[in-house]
Amino acid sequence: MQEKQQTQLKASPKSESAKFEEVLKNYEAVIGIETHVQLATLTKAFCSCPYNYGAQPNTSICPVCMGLPGALPVLNSKVIECAVKVGLALNCKLSLSSKFDRKQYFYPDLPKGYQISQFDIPIAAGGYIDVDLPVEFGGGHRKFGVTRVDLNRAGVPLLEIVSEPDMRTGIEAAEYAAELQRLVRYLGVSNGNMQEGSLRCDVNISVRPHGQPEFGTKVEIKNLNSFSSMSRAIDYEILRQAQLHSEGEAHQIVQETRLWEEGAQKTVTMRKKEGLADYRYFPEPDLPGVNLSEDYISTIHDSLPELPETKRRRYENLGLNMQDVLFLANDINVAAFFDATIATGADVKLAANWIMGDIAAYLKNEKLSINDIKLTPEELGELIASIKGGTISGKIGKEIADPSEIEKIVDRVIANNPKQLEQYRGGKTRLQGYFAGQVMKESKGKANPALLNKILLEKLNSKP
Amino acid sequence: MGSRAALFLRANPPLFSFRHSANPKSFLLNKRFYTAKSSLEAPDVARLAQTARISLTPKQVEEFAPKIRQVVDWFGQLQAVDLQSIEPAIRADTEGDNLRDDVPGVFDNRDAIIAAVPNYEDTYIKVPKVLNKE
Repeated sequence: MQEKQQTQLKASPKSESAKFEEVLKNYEAVIGIETHVQLATLTKAFCSCPYNYGAQPNTSICPVCMGLPGALPVLNSKVIECAVKVGLALNCKLSLSSKFDRKQYFYPDLPKGYQISQFDIPIAAGGYIDVDLPVEFGGGHRKFGVTRVDLNRAGVPLLEIVSEPDMRTGIEAAEYAAELQRLVRYLGVSNGNMQEGSLRCDVNISVRPHGQPEFGTKVEIKNLNSFSSMSRAIDYEILRQAQLHSEGEAHQIVQETRLWEEGAQKTVTMRKKEGLADYRYFPEPDLPGVNLSEDYISTIHDSLPELPETKRRRYENLGLNMQDVLFLANDINVAAFFDATIATGADVKLAANWIMGDIAAYLKNEKLSINDIKLTPEELGELIASIKGGTISGKIGKEIADPSEIEKIVDRVIANNPKQLEQYRGGKTRLQGYFAGQVMKESKGKANPALLNKILLEKLNSKP
Repeated sequence: MGSRAALFLRANPPLFSFRHSANPKSFLLNKRFYTAKSSLEAPDVARLAQTARISLTPKQVEEFAPKIRQVVDWFGQLQAVDLQSIEPAIRADTEGDNLRDDVPGVFDNRDAIIAAVPNYEDTYIKVPKVLNKE
């Protein structure tokens, strides 16, 4: 049980990585990422309309978000708070005085014909993010620059985070994005869910021969809805561009937007760049400037949780190996469970092993998150102490998942409660909960709940 | 078309552009738009109409060009004012930040908004094709 190691990410196939190594001997890729983070506010950016993912279209609307004449936007203070949190967490310099600008373009979901955005003075700029690469990819530490964080788009509030062109491979880019996801989740500013579009990454890639100071022609990739597709799309694109370079066909690399096709595992042209878009930015006259006081910033600074990078370094200092560190710090709730467990005095390595082994396997099987389980960190701490002290063996600590053992307990409980059984069969089916409770009690809380319910229902509903 | 064109003259998108907007992602920390000293470009009415998604006949283009030119020239006169020692003012000053709390409130006259939509179908608002015009 405890010796088992967990592998979170799948390494790319050997042949692919060999091809990739070969290419990187002669060419260097330059990768920059623009990430849009949808903020987990209750209301929209500039009006009080509630925002719920998946709500019926055009049900949550008002004169402001519909762009009706005369309606004026009023900024949601939570949006500023989220932006400041992210700016601080990314080690940025905050603009004490920033503003909103109008970005003019036409889009069917843009009633006013412009987006309220930040143009020349972003709320935060010039930061960086620290990333630990997964062990399967050789591990290692990277630091990537963050150019700017700005308040972006009306309606549902978005933050835009623009990286420096600091990434060189797909895995570096994917880890940068994964770290941003961890960060926004730790900060509670977004659910960071890529599938529902709460975290969207547009990747810019160019390739140049080693030693060439100028960048190659930049290609943008969109439609990346997971970290692994991001990593594969980038490596595919690097190979494609490097190939063209090595065949003397570099002129075929054009400035364009390409889409990642998951099925075909390749990028395809979406649209060629039609020259520089003219957004005709000008300062938004309907909104006052955004002014941050030093007090406000320091209050938010003091309220920040321990960030992923700090947590990883702390876990490392506890003596945990990198595999454990990356697993435990990946999810803020798992990390909190681990922290609470070791706060009871539990052995650090044993606590990590229980959480990464049996508990993680149980969560995966039952499709639960660590906050959904009955086991408390205190109980886990007690359990670990008992095992260590020799009071019980590691095996006893575990759940009963043997159907025949559960069946025995179910039979015993049914036999001991004939009156309730009669009532159940007479139609009072909610007594099922009573029986389940009795079985759980008999098993001292260790019966696997899914198995318990399955066996219990079979027994209760079988004709006498 | 006459009334639409009049509206166009008062429309939000500016009828001229400052040279600064050439590169949207570069930003100059201490320089704001209105300190730009560059001269104003002559209006290209055909292009303006296209960016505003308004169709004009060649005759209308010819007719509007001098009128728009007049407006732009007027801004040109403003450009000539020496503002070296003046802090840029983007808008009339307001007291404080005017922020609101993140508390949902439902607008209760939604039906009136929907009723005013020219083309509404099956919970969706149908709009004219504005994409891929280029």
